Amino acid sequence: MSRPGFVLEVDDRTPPMLVHEGEGFRLESFPLGSRVIYPPESLPAIDDVDEAITEALLHPVDADPLPSQLRAGMRLTIAFDDVSLPLPPMRSPDIRQRIIEAVLTMAADAGIDDVELIAANALHRRMTDAELRHVVGERVFRSFHPQGLLTNHDAEDRENLLHVGLTEEGEDVEINRRAAESDLLVYVNINLVPMDGGHKSVPVGLASYRSLRHHHNVRTMVGSHSFMDHERSHLHHSAWRMGRLLAEHLNIFQIETTLDNNVFGARYGFLQKPEWEWSLRDQASMLAMRRGLALAPQRLKHRRFHDLRSAYGLTGIHAGRVEAVHERTIAAVHRQQLVEVQGQSDVLVMGVPFLGPYNVDSTMNPILATCMGLGYYFNSYRGRPVVRRGGAAILYHPLAPQFNQLHHPSYVDFYEEILSETTDPLVIEEKYEKQFATDPWYIHLYRTSHAYHGVHPFYMWYWAAHAMDHVDDVIWVGADRRAAQRLGFRAATTLADALEMASATVGSDPSITYLHNPPHLIADVR
Amino acid sequence: MSNGRIVERLSGAHVLVTGATGFVGEALLQRLVAEVPGVTVSVLVRPRGSTSGVDRVRALLRKPVFAALGENTGGTDTLLGTRIRVLEGDMADVPPLPPDLDAVVHCAGDVSFDPPVDKGFITNVVGTRSLLDRLAEIGDHVHYVHVSTAYVAGRRRGTIREGPIDHDVDVEAELAWGLAQREVVELRSREAGLLSGLRAGAERAHRRAGLLRAASEVEERRVRWVREELVRLGTERARSLGWTDCYTFTKALGERVVEDRATHAPVSIVRPSIIESALAQPHPGWIEGFKMADPLILAYGRGELPEFPGAGDTTIDFVPVDHVVAALIAVLAHPPSAGAPAYFHVSSGARNPLTFLRFYTCVRRYFDEHPFEAGARGVARLPDWRLPGAQSVERLLTTSERAHRLADQVISLAPRGERTRDLARRLDQQGSRLEFLRRYLDLYREYVEADLRFDDTQTLALFESLDPDDRARFPFDTAVISWEHYVGEVHCPAITAPIRRLDAARRTRKRPSRTRLPAPETAAGKRSAAFFDLDGTLLSSNVIETYLRMRLAELSGSARFAELGRIAARVPGLVRAERHDRGAFLRSIYRSYAGARLVDLEAIADEVLTHHVLARLAPAAVRRVREHRAAGQPTVLVTGAIRPLTRPLAPLFDHIEAADLAVDERGLCTGTLAASPLVGEARGAWVRQWAHESDIDLAESFGYADSYSDLPLLDAVGHPVAVCPDVALSRHAARRHWPVVDWPSPEATPRTLSPPRLTSRAKG
Repeated sequence: MSRPGFVLEVDDRTPPMLVHEGEGFRLESFPLGSRVIYPPESLPAIDDVDEAITEALLHPVDADPLPSQLRAGMRLTIAFDDVSLPLPPMRSPDIRQRIIEAVLTMAADAGIDDVELIAANALHRRMTDAELRHVVGERVFRSFHPQGLLTNHDAEDRENLLHVGLTEEGEDVEINRRAAESDLLVYVNINLVPMDGGHKSVPVGLASYRSLRHHHNVRTMVGSHSFMDHERSHLHHSAWRMGRLLAEHLNIFQIETTLDNNVFGARYGFLQKPEWEWSLRDQASMLAMRRGLALAPQRLKHRRFHDLRSAYGLTGIHAGRVEAVHERTIAAVHRQQLVEVQGQSDVLVMGVPFLGPYNVDSTMNPILATCMGLGYYFNSYRGRPVVRRGGAAILYHPLAPQFNQLHHPSYVDFYEEILSETTDPLVIEEKYEKQFATDPWYIHLYRTSHAYHGVHPFYMWYWAAHAMDHVDDVIWVGADRRAAQRLGFRAATTLADALEMASATVGSDPSITYLHNPPHLIADVR
Repeated sequence: MSNGRIVERLSGAHVLVTGATGFVGEALLQRLVAEVPGVTVSVLVRPRGSTSGVDRVRALLRKPVFAALGENTGGTDTLLGTRIRVLEGDMADVPPLPPDLDAVVHCAGDVSFDPPVDKGFITNVVGTRSLLDRLAEIGDHVHYVHVSTAYVAGRRRGTIREGPIDHDVDVEAELAWGLAQREVVELRSREAGLLSGLRAGAERAHRRAGLLRAASEVEERRVRWVREELVRLGTERARSLGWTDCYTFTKALGERVVEDRATHAPVSIVRPSIIESALAQPHPGWIEGFKMADPLILAYGRGELPEFPGAGDTTIDFVPVDHVVAALIAVLAHPPSAGAPAYFHVSSGARNPLTFLRFYTCVRRYFDEHPFEAGARGVARLPDWRLPGAQSVERLLTTSERAHRLADQVISLAPRGERTRDLARRLDQQGSRLEFLRRYLDLYREYVEADLRFDDTQTLALFESLDPDDRARFPFDTAVISWEHYVGEVHCPAITAPIRRLDAARRTRKRPSRTRLPAPETAAGKRSAAFFDLDGTLLSSNVIETYLRMRLAELSGSARFAELGRIAARVPGLVRAERHDRGAFLRSIYRSYAGARLVDLEAIADEVLTHHVLARLAPAAVRRVREHRAAGQPTVLVTGAIRPLTRPLAPLFDHIEAADLAVDERGLCTGTLAASPLVGEARGAWVRQWAHESDIDLAESFGYADSYSDLPLLDAVGHPVAVCPDVALSRHAARRHWPVVDWPSPEATPRTLSPPRLTSRAKG
């Protein structure tokens, strides 16, 4: 039986804690009395994945079995989560491949000819052929890709978008035309964190900017407490309204999967074990890795981290009607990730790792690091934020002002031109969003190359807006000073310095909580 | 010598002064007008350009030292009408002189120590003779005062008496030779042997920027060679006859010309030593421009003169300008008899010697107490001179020069970047300092080594014969000078003052930023465009790299390695070709495409190269391109790269001018280009032609490029910008004050040749 997550209080016998910081990590001694939140250990994984898939498809929740919904001559579309999930990418075979193969077998049995596969990448970059091949598997790739039946969703292809209608709040619902006009839309999801899935799959993953702007904005994000809790997230409320509207027009068969916490695999096992339980082997590999990283040139370090493939195990698979399925999925995610925490603290410490959803095989630039830390990690709570209102956030990341020009061309300009003027999310949204969202060069790169959409860096900034609104001080340990300043934050060399700097906000003896992730955790703050 | 007050003796006299716009002439004119009321002064002034001689004198009289006089005498115009008359004319061709002249003071001369040989003769021999010829027309009664220099003694050593210099040089022969040299050297400079040498050097450095650029450099070098050769010839001839340089040599010959007159007319020859700022008159420290020792003093104060070749005990013979002028006036008032020319040394070394060590100590103390304005890096450290003697200084300098040359060669091979450019900048700074040192040390070594004692018995006798009032009014006994006072409190403050004013002005003035680009604006009613180079400007990649990518994408396995090996073996040759001639370089690269199908190349470009190119695009460059577009200016890409490589950039540009690969009827590349690649001057010509056809005003247009070979493109537009320039271009840009920007390409981009691997090695 796996052990639940827990909160450690640092005492004089506590060893230094592992803290991620970009493409590397450090061992940090926290002040006595600091709380450290550890995620639960991996739940037992499902042994026979294929059987679980068949089971889910044949006995869906709140829906007819998939085979009974399939008939010859129908138009079937399979959409799936893109390269941003899971993190790090999964070892082959990807769970989506297994599910898609099962769905396609049933479709073939039913004699369906008109099948298309669409990566639900919304405004993310187009997946490369190699990435598509990895997600759907060699066989599916070869059968569909050459004929143009396996594609990336193109949110700027006006011809291939359909405005389905307006929600009761007047929000545009506009998604991929092929998906909207299918007799059946099967969505294959990986529900890595509670934010994913549900009505965030189709109404967001296959949408256009016109539709996304209704929930991807500062007002919604500041009102989402947190966006990891779909019941209290304005973002999700909007997506849910859209999803319900879509459900009236479109038959969606949602397949959601949940994964265990085996992020790093056996080789880097020490990264997901409590420090005092490190074996000699763990300590040796930790030392070897630190030594290697210290000596390795930047490029090699980058490769070493980005070549990492997770050996995720499947903890659950549910199929059927979206909301009913998602209820079960969320329960499974919570089982794996929820940790009960008593009360808020003055300071929240987070180590931002090398990878977020938007820099797979790419560079985590300062904007993405901000989104990862103040967006995803800060929002990894249920109930109340881990840090009190007016408290301080201390993050670890080098914040090297380096950008991948292929993937993030609009980020560079966002960093150079906008953040040098203002860092206020509201001002940024008001003044610049439309210009970047409609810029023909960014649109060209998004559609033909592998660039994130021009508006994407804005979303990253909005993602962090709740945290910026909530805390009074943000300090980055080990960060590039000029970059930190550009982002509107401060940089410190050590944790001690950072605490010293934060003392103006939280006093000289603050309560401190360190979020010991990854693996993923959700702090259930009581 | 009969006695009487100077003022009385000169009362009613009409004196002609030549060289009144020079240092000594101006001081003399001022002193005569101010202190000798009965004198009328004619000044011989040459019109300069469109300014007439009268206007030049009028400008002279507006200077502060004269303005003060004007107030007492009724303004400069009154002064010009009554006391001062202007005679317009050139020393080389003196106009008829006023018949009522009583005396002439010939101060005109070239102060440069290393004039081209013909110029030295014209100024110091021809000019003097021309003046004397005119003087002969008036008569032998006119007192002629000749201002020479104490250093006409040349390389003689020891005590020099106040008398004719003993030599038997044939003045006429030397004069004929000297005047002929300009033509001879000009002819020699056009000989094929010399020109091909100059051309080889110029083309090595500038061929990349086009043959015309190299040609204009050849001509520049030829003109420089002529100038230097004329100087060298003069110096060599002077030394072969026992003088230090052309200046003292021609001055000595000039004295011979004067001595011819002395046989039948009153003649005085005044020989000052090194003339520096005034001790008291018109005010302490009065000086015009920088004199002989001053550049060295200033360089020392800036900490840029590490050592000096003089020995500590040699005498450095200074004399303040007001002493020289006072002596001249006293000499004017006491004409010798015809046939007995009078010689006067106005110098300090014989009775009040200033040793080099003492001079150094004074200067050092002055700068210790009054350092130059602290720059960004604080006050300059003053070097401690050990005065080790000429040879070791020479060794130091030679070694430094050699090191500099070597460093210069190395830097031109270094990979470009901000650091290389910074190194090059520092190297150039050091180079010009070395050049300065070399020039001054070569020039002055003769003087600081010359252990000469200018005996001034006759000057002293003249001084002592004066009425006590005159002695107070016209002091020129150099023995009374306290050098500590003169150097430390008079001279150094005087010559450093303008530098301090400049420093202060520089501090308040905001320096225009050379890294901030001007806004892409166009003057109303004009159409402008922006021209961009590709390799190195928009992209961090280069032709070899992109070529490799395209070839490797076609090949597989062992063929890939073979190709890599082949390219690696060719790299040195390719680099050489690139430095020499970009056109040839591109051709040799494109030859490798022979046999490839063009459609395949284009497919590869779309499939592989798009990512390669986009990932290497400098973000700042793209921003700038887009800024130009937003400002309504057409954007143009001009590149020697082949067209398939430019496909990913097509949406950014209104026009792309690239090389087209020639194909045969089967669609296979022949390995040649359809037309010559657009490099060097062809780029400039293309830009002009395109602008003409598109109704674009090039003066309002922008150009961006990184390499010296793109110079014609940059020269064609009104707003050139050097982007991450190579050393040659960054030097050129610095000279022309072009903006220099760094548009870094993303560094952290993974540059593996294979697409991202997402399949695992260990199947899980």
